[in-house]
Amino acid sequence: MARRSRFFRYFTYALLASFVALVAYSAHLDVRVRDEFEGRRFALPARIYARPLELHAGLRIAPGDVEDELRELGYRANRTEDQTGWFAKSGNELEIAARAFVFWDGAQPARRIRVGFDGGKVASLRGEQGQELSIARLEPLAIGGIYPAGNEDRVLVRLPDVPKHLIQALIAVEDRSFFSHHGFDLRGMARAAWSLVRAGRTQGGSTITQQLVKNFYLTPERTLTRKFNELIMAVLLEVHYGKEEILETYLNEIYLGQDRDRAIHGVGLASQFYFSKDVKDLTVADSALLVALVRGPGLYDPRRNAKRAFERRNLVLQQTLDQGFITPAQYAGARKSPLGVVQTPTMGTSPFPAFVQLVHRQLRRDYDEKDLRSEGLRIFTTLDPRVQGAGERALARRLAQFDKEKRFGQPGLEGAIVVTDPQSGEVQAVVGSRNARYRGYNRALDAARPVGSLLKPVVYLTALAEPGKYTLITPIDDGPFTWKSRGAPDWTPQNYDKKFHGLVPLRTALAQSYNAATARLGTDIGVEKVLANVRRMGVDRDMKPYASTLLGAVEMSPFEVAQMYQTMASGGFRSPLRAIREVTTQDGHPLQRYGLNVEQAFAAEPVYLINAAMQGVVREGTGQALRQFLPPEVAAAGKTGTTDDQRDAWFAGFTGDRLAVVWVGYDDNRAARMSGSTAALPIWGDLMAALAPEPLALNKPDGIEQVWIDPQTNLRGDSGCAGAIELPFVQGSAPAERSPCSTLMGTTVDAVDNTVKKAKSWFERIFGR
Amino acid sequence: MRFLALLLLLAGCAAPTPAPVERPPVPADPPVRPATRETSAVASLMDSARADAAAGRLANAAATLERALRIEPRNPRLWSELARVRLQQGEWAQAEQTALRSNSFAGTDSDLRSDNARIIAAARERRK
Repeated sequence: MARRSRFFRYFTYALLASFVALVAYSAHLDVRVRDEFEGRRFALPARIYARPLELHAGLRIAPGDVEDELRELGYRANRTEDQTGWFAKSGNELEIAARAFVFWDGAQPARRIRVGFDGGKVASLRGEQGQELSIARLEPLAIGGIYPAGNEDRVLVRLPDVPKHLIQALIAVEDRSFFSHHGFDLRGMARAAWSLVRAGRTQGGSTITQQLVKNFYLTPERTLTRKFNELIMAVLLEVHYGKEEILETYLNEIYLGQDRDRAIHGVGLASQFYFSKDVKDLTVADSALLVALVRGPGLYDPRRNAKRAFERRNLVLQQTLDQGFITPAQYAGARKSPLGVVQTPTMGTSPFPAFVQLVHRQLRRDYDEKDLRSEGLRIFTTLDPRVQGAGERALARRLAQFDKEKRFGQPGLEGAIVVTDPQSGEVQAVVGSRNARYRGYNRALDAARPVGSLLKPVVYLTALAEPGKYTLITPIDDGPFTWKSRGAPDWTPQNYDKKFHGLVPLRTALAQSYNAATARLGTDIGVEKVLANVRRMGVDRDMKPYASTLLGAVEMSPFEVAQMYQTMASGGFRSPLRAIREVTTQDGHPLQRYGLNVEQAFAAEPVYLINAAMQGVVREGTGQALRQFLPPEVAAAGKTGTTDDQRDAWFAGFTGDRLAVVWVGYDDNRAARMSGSTAALPIWGDLMAALAPEPLALNKPDGIEQVWIDPQTNLRGDSGCAGAIELPFVQGSAPAERSPCSTLMGTTVDAVDNTVKKAKSWFERIFGR
Repeated sequence: MRFLALLLLLAGCAAPTPAPVERPPVPADPPVRPATRETSAVASLMDSARADAAAGRLANAAATLERALRIEPRNPRLWSELARVRLQQGEWAQAEQTALRSNSFAGTDSDLRSDNARIIAAARERRK
């Protein structure tokens, strides 16, 4: 008797002890479950958006370009009343049912926009009631994300946005008693066991809750302990959270596919990935396909195993019908419809990896890597998809053509492009490779190559900043020149045509890119002075104070070159090149704005002169070939660059509305045997021509006057002189003397004025101080 | 007759006479004076920027002015308004530089130039 009671006591102790152990163990699991669940719910990669297209009367854009943009945004090209996200064209008018979007500065509701076109311009902009709209901002294109370490991407969805039929199909196939069980389903497990015994088939007996818990583990191990843990965790999850929270998290967590190194988690991203749709727009058939994928995204991959995917989808439809969730009519319609999968997902890892890399780098200055990968920040950038596309096409086509012509073997030529807005410094496009989708070496940012003659404008700008000594017509000696300096080897630059040209006007030395003249000029004014100006343009690099540096021995990335030219293009005001405009939290709360900053780095007058001289490069110098691409009215300014043995070919320049830098060469530094004007210029020309550039009308500062010059004598000329040209001068720096050909020789007020000025300064020199 | 004259005049406008031989292919100077009236897009953005600034939403005002500047990057009034917002934001250096940028496009608009001069003076005063 006593024995029995002792046994009972021990038994009770043991029972109690194991209960305590179980409770302790559950408590341990409980912490883990809650951590994982909360973490999963909110770990969202930063989303990156292109610039929004802003439509307004007067905007120069072709209707086709607006349609392209809308298609990229996933708008359908047919009218669907009562819905948003479509457009319809009739004659010169485009009707757009724009979706709602939360911008940095607030939410913009869905609305109808009617855009009237006239030629290549927006002529009118009206709202639904025909009222005039002054400006309409379309939603921006999502161009990528910054993913957590496992490269998981997701688009968070809220339960109310998920179509009922998707949830019903999921319940019908995966967990019929989801809304009634406590985390596990004995009947389901029994069914699974029975089917294993009977048919040797594994049928998942896991509830949705268990499947979610399974996802908390990183490894797909299948042990009994693990099963036991999962069971307890599922129950704990059900204790802490409601069915809807669990379902919502499941829908956002479930693994549904693979895009190279990017895992597709959640129905939101999967809708984009497979159908280019928002989850709320999924049809019954679409939903069934997504549910079909739950069991094996690889096995039923609709892009690779279309037939298997089709059969599995229809099985899902059958089971959904069996549960009475859809009508026989819906079933019949859905099972006949095609898979409807888009061939290329619109939102890959990013279609523009080179640009996204720049964004990521600029963000890292202000944000923790961890926050970027998990806080779901929304990043609004400056990327212009149209410009980016034009750049990618221009580079890929030309390089393919050059490779064919040259046959220099593999790997082929490479290239990079940076396009910016010259006034604001906003980066509109970055192409880091001829294969723009390739997420690898980003030559636009990271390939530092000798810039060759691209540095010459800075030499001439430095000279022109002393108008008393240098004007556009000052004769520069292009005779043989040797630079000697202690500690550096002697250096004798050659000209590209292997000739020396004697005395040439300054503007011609730049236009023809004469090396000897430039080296002489640069050493006369001082190498250090020139290099200081390079730094003032925003290039932060060590540069050796050698004369050879002036001819571009210094290495820069295309991005740095763009910064340098931006400062000139904007009249001497430096704006740091920016790829980001704004950052908001996931729900649209503004965090940070990267505003337009300007700083006057140079006086306006010499910059005006150098820009006019760079227009001369294109008009009559080494950039002349551009006339095959752009009409002369565009009056683009630019400079070619070619390095020793023609290893690097460059073209940098700007029109009225865009600045672009193009580099072409081999990654392994082989000689490309192509110059800036034969290799880089055509790409620049193709790019600009595709974008219908605005003509470059330089902003003339007060201190500049236009003077007619007789090129024979470099004196003042007029209509009496054949070939006279009008050139800009800093006021008072133009020659006073008139050329003999001038019909008004010696009689103008100007001349008298200048004589007076001269006399006065002579007078002042003696008595002034 | 008058009709014919008008026609000739129109024809003359439509097809400019070819440039004389000695005329160099130098691009014509830009209109130094900015258009006195903004397009309706820019005008409406300017209005909303002013409303934002008046309500103390300075970041919004600046962002809206930047939107307008993307449409008319050479409009000196937009640059001047942006300089004023910068001043209100306490960004003294940017207020001054942005006002200088406005001046670079202001031509002979002396009212605007004196506005900018006031912004620059205020910015310099605060920076001390």
